[in-house]
Amino acid sequence: MSDRPGVVLRREPARGCLNLRGNPRDAGFRNAVAAVTGVELPVESCTWGPAGDAAVYWLGPDEWLLVLPAGREADVERRLREALAGSFSVVDTSGTHCFLNLSGPARGYVLQKSSPYDFHPRNFPAGRCVQTVFAKASALVAANPDGSFDLVVRRSYADYVRDWIADAEEEYGFARG
Amino acid sequence: MGTPRRLPSGGRIDRDRPIAFSFNRREMRGFSGDTLASALLAHGVATVARSFKYGRPRGIVGHGVEEPNAIVDLGVGAAMTPNVRATEIELFAGLEARTSRAPWQGAVGPLARYLPAGFYYKMFLHARGFRTWERFLRATAGLGGVPEGPDPDTYDHLNHHCDVLVVGAGPAGLAAALEACRAGARVVLADEQAEFGGSLLAETGPVDGEHASSWVARTVAELESHPDAVLLARSTVSGLYDHNFVTVVERRPDAAGAPDVAGAPDVAGARERLHRVRAGQVVLATGAIERPLVFANNDLPGVMLASSVFTYLHRYAVVPGERMVLCTTNDSAYRTAIDWVGAGREVAAIVDARPEPSGAAMQAATRAGIEVIHGHAVIEARGRKRVREAVVAPLHGEDDRLTGPPRRIGCDLIACSGGWTPTLHLAAQTGVKPRWSDEAIAFLPVPAGDAVTWAGSAGGARSLPACLQTGAAAGAMAASRTGHGEGRVSAEPPETDEPPETPSRALFLVPHQRPPSRAPKQFVDLQLDVTAADIELAAREGYESVEHVKRYTALGFGTEQGKLGNVNGVAILARALGQDIAATGTTMFRPSYTPVTFGAVAGRDVGGFFDPERRTPMHGWHEEQGAEWEDVGRWKRPRYYPKAGEGMQDAVNRECLAARDGVAILDASTLGKIDIQGADAHVFLDRIYTTGFRRLGVGRCRYGLMLHEDGTIFDDGVTARIAGHRYLMHTTTGNAEAVFDWLELWRQTEWPDLDVYCTSVTDHWATAALVGPKSREVLGRVCDDIDLSRDAFRFMDVREGHVAGVPARVFRISFSGELSFEVNVPAHRGREVWDALIEAGAEFDITPYGTEAMHVLRAEKGFIIVGQDTDGSMTPADMGMDWAVRRNKPFGFLGERSLSLPDHLREDRLQFVGLASGDAVLPEGAPLVEVPDGAPPIPNQGFVSSAYHSARLSRPIALGLVRGGRTRLGEILHCALADGRNLPVTIVDPVFYDPDGKAQDV
Amino acid sequence: MLRIRCPYCEEARSEEEFAYAGEAHIRRPEDPEALSDREWGEYLHFRTNARGPHREMWVHAAGCRRYFNVLRDTVSYEILDVYPIGKAPSDDSTGNGA
Ligand SMILES: [Zn+2]
Repeated sequence: MSDRPGVVLRREPARGCLNLRGNPRDAGFRNAVAAVTGVELPVESCTWGPAGDAAVYWLGPDEWLLVLPAGREADVERRLREALAGSFSVVDTSGTHCFLNLSGPARGYVLQKSSPYDFHPRNFPAGRCVQTVFAKASALVAANPDGSFDLVVRRSYADYVRDWIADAEEEYGFARG
Repeated sequence: MGTPRRLPSGGRIDRDRPIAFSFNRREMRGFSGDTLASALLAHGVATVARSFKYGRPRGIVGHGVEEPNAIVDLGVGAAMTPNVRATEIELFAGLEARTSRAPWQGAVGPLARYLPAGFYYKMFLHARGFRTWERFLRATAGLGGVPEGPDPDTYDHLNHHCDVLVVGAGPAGLAAALEACRAGARVVLADEQAEFGGSLLAETGPVDGEHASSWVARTVAELESHPDAVLLARSTVSGLYDHNFVTVVERRPDAAGAPDVAGAPDVAGARERLHRVRAGQVVLATGAIERPLVFANNDLPGVMLASSVFTYLHRYAVVPGERMVLCTTNDSAYRTAIDWVGAGREVAAIVDARPEPSGAAMQAATRAGIEVIHGHAVIEARGRKRVREAVVAPLHGEDDRLTGPPRRIGCDLIACSGGWTPTLHLAAQTGVKPRWSDEAIAFLPVPAGDAVTWAGSAGGARSLPACLQTGAAAGAMAASRTGHGEGRVSAEPPETDEPPETPSRALFLVPHQRPPSRAPKQFVDLQLDVTAADIELAAREGYESVEHVKRYTALGFGTEQGKLGNVNGVAILARALGQDIAATGTTMFRPSYTPVTFGAVAGRDVGGFFDPERRTPMHGWHEEQGAEWEDVGRWKRPRYYPKAGEGMQDAVNRECLAARDGVAILDASTLGKIDIQGADAHVFLDRIYTTGFRRLGVGRCRYGLMLHEDGTIFDDGVTARIAGHRYLMHTTTGNAEAVFDWLELWRQTEWPDLDVYCTSVTDHWATAALVGPKSREVLGRVCDDIDLSRDAFRFMDVREGHVAGVPARVFRISFSGELSFEVNVPAHRGREVWDALIEAGAEFDITPYGTEAMHVLRAEKGFIIVGQDTDGSMTPADMGMDWAVRRNKPFGFLGERSLSLPDHLREDRLQFVGLASGDAVLPEGAPLVEVPDGAPPIPNQGFVSSAYHSARLSRPIALGLVRGGRTRLGEILHCALADGRNLPVTIVDPVFYDPDGKAQDV
Repeated sequence: MLRIRCPYCEEARSEEEFAYAGEAHIRRPEDPEALSDREWGEYLHFRTNARGPHREMWVHAAGCRRYFNVLRDTVSYEILDVYPIGKAPSDDSTGNGA
């Protein structure tokens, strides 16, 4: 085994998270979200986009995860409620999510051993995100432009997921970033 | 020990790398590149095992996956793997192997004549005392040993997605993979051997003008250059499932390239990997296995497949004998005899069953000076521990009967070939039965859709050029079906010098002078000792279906799974039934193709990974306090917090009294929580819950029951109105996900017109329940922006504010009957708020309590736990909870209609009651009866659902369900204990403590 | 192991991500109280149990969490069609067409 670890797992600091629901075909809804957050909602399935220090992930045909710098979620939630009309939902889920970053040359093997989804670059280039099975938990996985992957997991499963990935050490070499 | 049977040169072994190993405790030597089987043959080892039923000596028959006899336990101690084929074990330094033995092996020999096919069925059909027999039989069942401890090795899984999966890397598979790669497809190529090449590894003729092995090397190098090709050697495709989901078991080499198998020196990573492949197209290039001939004593060591002799000769430079008789029905085996002579050994004769063989093979044999006895067959092998002579007799040209007297030919090796059986196990796993072809004398695959194709000898190809050509075509076609290429091959198939074949003869059971029932045993299934006589007996006894005969005789039931014996068995059965083979058909093949280790199936899902542990934000604190745990769903919850010297009951008593008299704190973060918002949220809740939600004020909470459409209780919990169109629903810990799915089911499928959204916030909130008369004071120390007074913050109110400086939602709800505040803060701040509450409570001796005390407290109040006091058949009325059901709502609610079904109105339904039981804590689940000692059957009156010792009441309490129980208060029933005692139990009201609810109203 | 195309995620995913959710196109009666016990019982308990093409609901449990309809052959397990909730079946050749 080489000295260079095959897998590097970095635990990201807490972020502000809002689960956002509404009709993507409603221009008023999209515009109001853009006006408050500066973020264009991705309407194509299984895609995500960064926007300054924020990011937004497609979760479903009427559902997104808005990720903000920690502490901004309450303010943005309030302003969204003021700006939105009609059918929508905004829920603070900052406590729900733990953010992990997976890099290193064997990162693909860790995804392959953990999930039935096809993470091959042909199928999962940068800008894609997917909610899928991850070992015996589930995760939102996003492909980054630098080739690393972001994993968003539920807090109660975070220790399990981190231990699971660290267990790849024997096979691939592992380091905490 | 010397290696008398090793040739001085040749083979694909590395003579510079000798390897020491032991077999059945004898020290031996082989070379890198050997299998255990080839090394044993090089030593001249004849007997490797005793047969399963009769204890007869058995030798190596094959050279690969088909081997039925040379089955060994590999490695020692905990890392031992039982039942591995010696033909598939790559030799490594320090290898230790022992013959896998059946526990009673050999003991049956003398009794064998009393154990015909179907012995057990006959013996035990009407037998008394089967239980007694079973103990004896169980002890004798099975083959191979059991490892001495937990497996120290690791196993892993890996998922793959590809356009084309090619199974088998022989000539057809290599050609297929090459074409698919060239077309741009993502390809997985798997082969069970350590090296790609299959039959080409023993091939002597040229391919594409070069030695076959260099063509293999060049092809593999090109495949390796494709970044999207995954090449899996030592990888057995064990199952082909729906939608081309394929399981591949890879035995992994270590970094040095030595095989990593049981007992081998340390290697990094998993010993085996289970690859889970999802393939657009599957190309089965699984090859064919030579078919043995069934003749008398055909199980003697020294009777081998002709192709295996050929392989040992060329690939391993091993001659498994000196003087050979080749017995064949076809051309393909001739070269084994010819090359045997070339290796300086003697061929006593080629015995060809065909009346007048002709053609290139025959001529070559004659040129090599070999006597060809045509129109004959070997009808019997003779010898004690190995073959000493072959008995040969003339065969009628068409009927399978003898036409003259036998003669004997001295030899120590009988190589035989009854033709070829395409390896169709995977093809048949799709559920489509292969069809018999009289022309091919084989079962051939039948298409099932266009996502699985085959190539090479698996599809009936009989020559190397045909294998290469069908392989290339199948690879190109499969790639094009996944959108890569036009389906045309990129190059002409490579040329070979193989002569055309002449027709074969269909021969399965070789006739003997005596009928099968009287002849020496003619084995069809070597592994399970099934003979031709057994199959004929089954037919005589009325079995007609091949599946039934398989089960009656155990034909093909061993780990060998009919690879050698299936076709012969079917042919013998067909003849016994007087019908043709096509009408008889073959048995079904199911996964796995070869045995798969439990380790490979489990992968890393073992130990702590077997089931994920969900942890609350306060998990570390509970750990520091030495909590004992209870698993609730996947959650780890503190069950109780023992202090030094305390047992569980002491701790629970202390925790309960603290909650009733002072202040106690519970981590309630695991409760399911769902945010529900939208203009129609109240309408939605009204339909989901038995309770009404239209009039619930903002800042108020309401308890509700959730019913299935059949009227039974599914979940319960408190839902709060947070804001105008926004609610927070609590579910039970174990049901959180099921409830969320239930809400989404109705929201999405039946009521998409409702403006409502549900979002799970279970993980978002950390929840601390402060319980007890002092809880208000404790909370007041860390919360100054919520008025906590009795009238400003009433029972069933919810307020927002800050606790310990963290934005919080506080519910004044109670599952204990005491004054109680449930403090919710975002989970990432849960621990700091918990610590602040503990600190604030220190002067009141705040006591953490666990699930056990929580259960006692709620049981004292007669509060139900869904799933403990209900079992999926209880209605609200059964539980005495009609107060929580609001009828005449505009829409009604789910399950309402069922409440008026006649069965739900029966007066003798099980009803929820309290049970008083003197001074014994009743066992939960214990049945209740009226008469303790009447004659059975004694009518059941109900059961105990919850039982605890109540510290507050200083006596046991219990809850249960009793037929018509609510009208039977005061009646005495009897609770039957496992030890035979019966305890009298009095039916009482389920509320044991504070029936007026004064404690929480302070 | 099935591969199911989620009409919302717009790609084929592995069966592990999905959960079966029963027969499709069973409408809840508008007014349950107006039904006889027998009629209500049929709504509750009786299903087509088709051999061959069968319309059924699946939920993309580990993915977008949306329910949708699948036309699946219960013999070959071939998936013949996938379509959203609320859309009528494309034909009614099955035992449980709308
Ligand atoms: Zn989806």
